[in-house]
Amino acid sequence: MKWRVSGIETHDAYFNMALDEAISESVREGSSSPTIRFYNWSPNAVSIGYFQSIRDEVNLEVCKELGVDCIRRWTGGGAVYHDFDGEITYSVIAPASMFPKNIIESYGLICGWLVKGLESLGIEAEFKPVNDILVKAKKISGSAQTRRGGILLQHGTLLYGLDLKTMFRVLNVSRQKITDKMIRSAQERVTCVGMHSKRGKKEVYEAIVNAFTEGKDYEYGTWSIDELARTRELSEQKYKSDAWMYLR
Amino acid sequence: MGVNLISYSSQKVKEGKIVKVEAQFDNVIRKFKISGDFFLHPEEVIDDIEKSMIDLKRDVSFDTLVHKIHKIVNDHDARMIGLSPESLALVIREALK
Repeated sequence: MKWRVSGIETHDAYFNMALDEAISESVREGSSSPTIRFYNWSPNAVSIGYFQSIRDEVNLEVCKELGVDCIRRWTGGGAVYHDFDGEITYSVIAPASMFPKNIIESYGLICGWLVKGLESLGIEAEFKPVNDILVKAKKISGSAQTRRGGILLQHGTLLYGLDLKTMFRVLNVSRQKITDKMIRSAQERVTCVGMHSKRGKKEVYEAIVNAFTEGKDYEYGTWSIDELARTRELSEQKYKSDAWMYLR
Repeated sequence: MGVNLISYSSQKVKEGKIVKVEAQFDNVIRKFKISGDFFLHPEEVIDDIEKSMIDLKRDVSFDTLVHKIHKIVNDHDARMIGLSPESLALVIREALK
């Protein structure tokens, strides 16, 4: 089956998550091909997992002060700070039948593409179940997957740079004062491409695209009029709504 | 009827994810919420698990909780990732103490 690949785009959090859902619908209806997309978030944003409580996870006052958007994802997993300068995000949206039925195996398959991309940059990485990729035992990528109506959606981030100070401010880290010790502790657990390679973000992105598309029949494509209309509808009516934001 | 109590339990379960339970109860459970960074496919099954806890006695046994969660998961052919019915039941029992 031919894949549709979208080159890197920048949208706000609501559009990004709504687009993933709209694409899932069009792939399910058969009106769009399985899709791989790459994107950034602007403004910077915090996304929380489907099962998380925004009040528990996010410091909403600081987000407001810094102009950081907050959004609940359609997928489970943890809270993520999406920094425009600090990461590349991907989504893979395709019939679940194209992937192993075993969820961990399917994470392994898609994360394996990212691992290959990192290896092509000279960075040795490994998939760590459930949903992480590690470099020298530190997390460099996290992913989240959902399967609805026979469609698999997995999105994930690759950390390119680290802004731990802002991350700790926007996420509720037990509401404690952000200490140097906390920053050091996080630095021991998290890493980014910039710490292992001097390649620019564009070069890193190209390496990741090459790894995701290797061996696949694909063409670059864009969004249909219906997908864009549905994205705008989901963005305004679902993802920006208090009902969704405060679902749990 | 006793006074409504709100209790809260949060644990990193052995399967690796954080699970939080908030329960409001007198002698039976009146309100119930599960949150955390785990995965459950399909996600909406969490609503059925939460609803199944309403009106259970506060001293409901661990085994009963495990049985109820297993049944809902099986009925929906659902998959839990990063937690299990047993781990979830442990967090619930802790919240109801």
